[in-house]
Amino acid sequence: MAMNKKALQSAIALAGVSAFALTACTGPSGGGTASGSASGGGAITYGTTDKVVTLDPAGSYDAGSFMVMNQIYPFLLNSKPGTADSTPDIAESASFTSPTEYTVKLKSGLKFANGHALTSSDVKFSIDRVVKINDDNGPASLLGNLASVEVKDDSTVVFKLKEGNDQVFPGVLAANAGPIVDEEVFAAGKLMSDDDIVKGKPFAGPYTIESYKKNELVSLKANPDYKGLLGKPANDSATIKYYADSNNLKLDVQQGNIDVAGRSLTATDAADLEKDSKVKVHKGPGGELRYIVFNFDTMPFGAKTADADPKKALAVRQAMADVVDRDAIATQVYKGTYLPAYSVVPDGFVGAIKPLKDMYGDGNGKPSLEKAKKAFSDAGVTAPVTLKLQYNPDHYGKSSGDEYAMIKEQLEKSGLFKVDLQSTEWVTYSKDRTKDVYPVYQLGWFPDYSDADNYLTPFFIPGNFLKNHYENPAVTDLIKKQLTTVDKAEREKVLGDAQTAVAKDLSTLPLLQGAQLMVAGKDVQGVDKTLDASFKTRLGVISK
Amino acid sequence: MTTLIEAPPSDADGLLPTKKKASGGGLGQYILIRFLLIFPTILILVTLVFFLMRITGDPITAALGGRLPPEQLAERIHAAGYDRPIFVQYFEYLGQLITGDFGTTLSDNRQVSEMLTTYGAATLELSINALLVALVVGIPLGMVAAHRRDKAPDAVLRIFAILCYATPVFFAGMLLKLTFSVWLGWLPVAGRAKTSTELALTALQAPTGIYWLDAVRSGNMAALGDVIAHAVLPALALGLLTAGIFLRLVRTNVIGTLGKDYVEAGRSRGVSEFRLVTKHAYKPALIPIITVMGLQIAVMLGGAVLTETTFEWKGLGFQLATYLTARDFVAVQGIVVLLAVIVAVTNFIVDIVAALIDPRVRY
Repeated sequence: MAMNKKALQSAIALAGVSAFALTACTGPSGGGTASGSASGGGAITYGTTDKVVTLDPAGSYDAGSFMVMNQIYPFLLNSKPGTADSTPDIAESASFTSPTEYTVKLKSGLKFANGHALTSSDVKFSIDRVVKINDDNGPASLLGNLASVEVKDDSTVVFKLKEGNDQVFPGVLAANAGPIVDEEVFAAGKLMSDDDIVKGKPFAGPYTIESYKKNELVSLKANPDYKGLLGKPANDSATIKYYADSNNLKLDVQQGNIDVAGRSLTATDAADLEKDSKVKVHKGPGGELRYIVFNFDTMPFGAKTADADPKKALAVRQAMADVVDRDAIATQVYKGTYLPAYSVVPDGFVGAIKPLKDMYGDGNGKPSLEKAKKAFSDAGVTAPVTLKLQYNPDHYGKSSGDEYAMIKEQLEKSGLFKVDLQSTEWVTYSKDRTKDVYPVYQLGWFPDYSDADNYLTPFFIPGNFLKNHYENPAVTDLIKKQLTTVDKAEREKVLGDAQTAVAKDLSTLPLLQGAQLMVAGKDVQGVDKTLDASFKTRLGVISK
Repeated sequence: MTTLIEAPPSDADGLLPTKKKASGGGLGQYILIRFLLIFPTILILVTLVFFLMRITGDPITAALGGRLPPEQLAERIHAAGYDRPIFVQYFEYLGQLITGDFGTTLSDNRQVSEMLTTYGAATLELSINALLVALVVGIPLGMVAAHRRDKAPDAVLRIFAILCYATPVFFAGMLLKLTFSVWLGWLPVAGRAKTSTELALTALQAPTGIYWLDAVRSGNMAALGDVIAHAVLPALALGLLTAGIFLRLVRTNVIGTLGKDYVEAGRSRGVSEFRLVTKHAYKPALIPIITVMGLQIAVMLGGAVLTETTFEWKGLGFQLATYLTARDFVAVQGIVVLLAVIVAVTNFIVDIVAALIDPRVRY
């Protein structure tokens, strides 16, 4: 017994000493790339706070899932790094062969990582199952204009559309509804679990998944059989590491434990990292738009208020557009991680212009009290106008409170408004906003696909998702026209006209557009190539 | 309280009269009763969790309300059966639990039972590490405090103990992280291992998920060092909480034992104070530790939620916090029930161990 006690005491002492000795030997965890694994040099590690909902394209419509899908699945159309234009990816050609037929011809010799051939049958299967499963969290709504998919031969597939010359359709095929999956692995009528997908190796994108721990670690290896637009990845392998706390993400990129930190560092983190000589902050155009919505029925002088007057209501909107200082919000609240927005279509999209810059404020993007006062006096509005302004504290980031406190300050400083600022949690907020509860309120938008239309159709046609009772037949016509204008230059002009018309009516007041942000070690190259208006993170362009 | 379950003292110095053999006839019955008590304990916990979760409405509305149109929301509520009478749902849930079906998460469509195998190992590893810290720090320091009773070291250690169990785990974790990771750069900021280590351990045949064990099994000493480096701060943050309690317990019990007649007899025979503490007083002080350890498992699992979140230690606690944020009550309910089962089973094991060491516990 005494022997046993001694042995136990010795073992505990030995374990303790060993633990501390090993700890002392290891020191800080630097260089945490996958270089220690079999991949050898050229491996990169990307950190993110985004989450994967599912690897099944039919069941997810979120940034975290789509980021992984962009690495592992092929798309018929995609965009070259640096641009948002949809061009053939694994397709050899893709074009309208009649107003309601979009024909895609696949490259020859395509195959999945499991050895199965990738044919037009897989394409039909992939698109049909998104529509058939129609998951609440899935992207089926993007395929609303699709009538049917027809297989002509092994390499030719025809998409039959309900409305002709849909210029947005190529963008849809490059978006969340577009990943092509293996019909021999995926079930036709139900979602697959991530583990089953990984086991089946139905990958034909730039990478294959080597190991998968959901929302912890995904190990990718360059796919030698990928024959698409993006070409051979600049690295042999890539690892995606998931974080819950952006602070840990920031610290790990600073300490070199990961090579690149992607979404979503806070504005304060980014500002802090700008001062760190070991890392570089990369910025690119962002698709997020933050804006104020006006309910045309219930806003001051709205159609269903006691003192309804459309001219006065417009003057209120115009005066707000005149006095709000976007630049101050972008720099003081968001430390430059957001940029001022002067159109309902963010800068960087094909066809985007900045009508609000000329039309409101000092004509150069800054506020103008004189113009706001003139708008009030021209319409006979007596200042101050009481404004019930709603914002959301939990859905649009922690800084929404600061953002709207500053807007209130700017509006009240003008002497034209008295702002009653209110906030509501998202669950209630999202329901109430469509029930005419909020006269003037905050909203934000991420694009479903990289096309200016995605910032117009959902917001400004009758029955739009804002449900703010705004209708203007001229605007509706312009939006419909751009959707079906085949000539690119002509379409850009119509898009510009639509933005100008919307800016005159001001049914929404654009405030800020997000800048895409990545932070990388100084030895990392290629990060800027993936920060374009396609909003696709392409790990294949990053190397070190 | 703790002195009620003292174990018989060690008799290495022949201080005690001849012992009568303890009657161990009640052990089988004791184990059976303790085993049977697990079930009502778990049933009460499951019932509480189930009904408390329903206070704010059905799980579908909690998770997806506001994100789906009312019609779709109603469809999903109906499809999931949450529009049926609550007692029907309750008994059906109990039936599912018996078959090991804890349900499917609402936010990412995963089997809750899968959580135990995927993340249980990480939480187990953290708990073992923390327990080790608690034992290594709490017991020796408790003995030192008792040995130096009412002197300066005792006062310092008592303040240390109070600080340990009064400091919130997340605060201790943040302080440790700031000091040793951010300022000094000695230890990793977060996670269970470097990316390369995790990839290497994940690639092993039949990994246990307990990283240090997998590293030892594979003979990968570099990985072992990395895993230990990552484990130090989370284990300290969580372990010090319990170490404070252990320190106080050991101190109180050792002081109590040092006043016993047989110890006095030892003193009168010239046995040194150090030998009395380390040889004769420590065993009675350890028995209550074993009993309290069972209760501390529950405290540790509670603390694990905060520790795992602070250090991105991806275990059950981390998942629980994530699903709480997502308002995924199905997942939360499942994980809480799993944790309840772990606590109940651990307490059962601890009770049996205590009964084996000290026969008086059986009565």
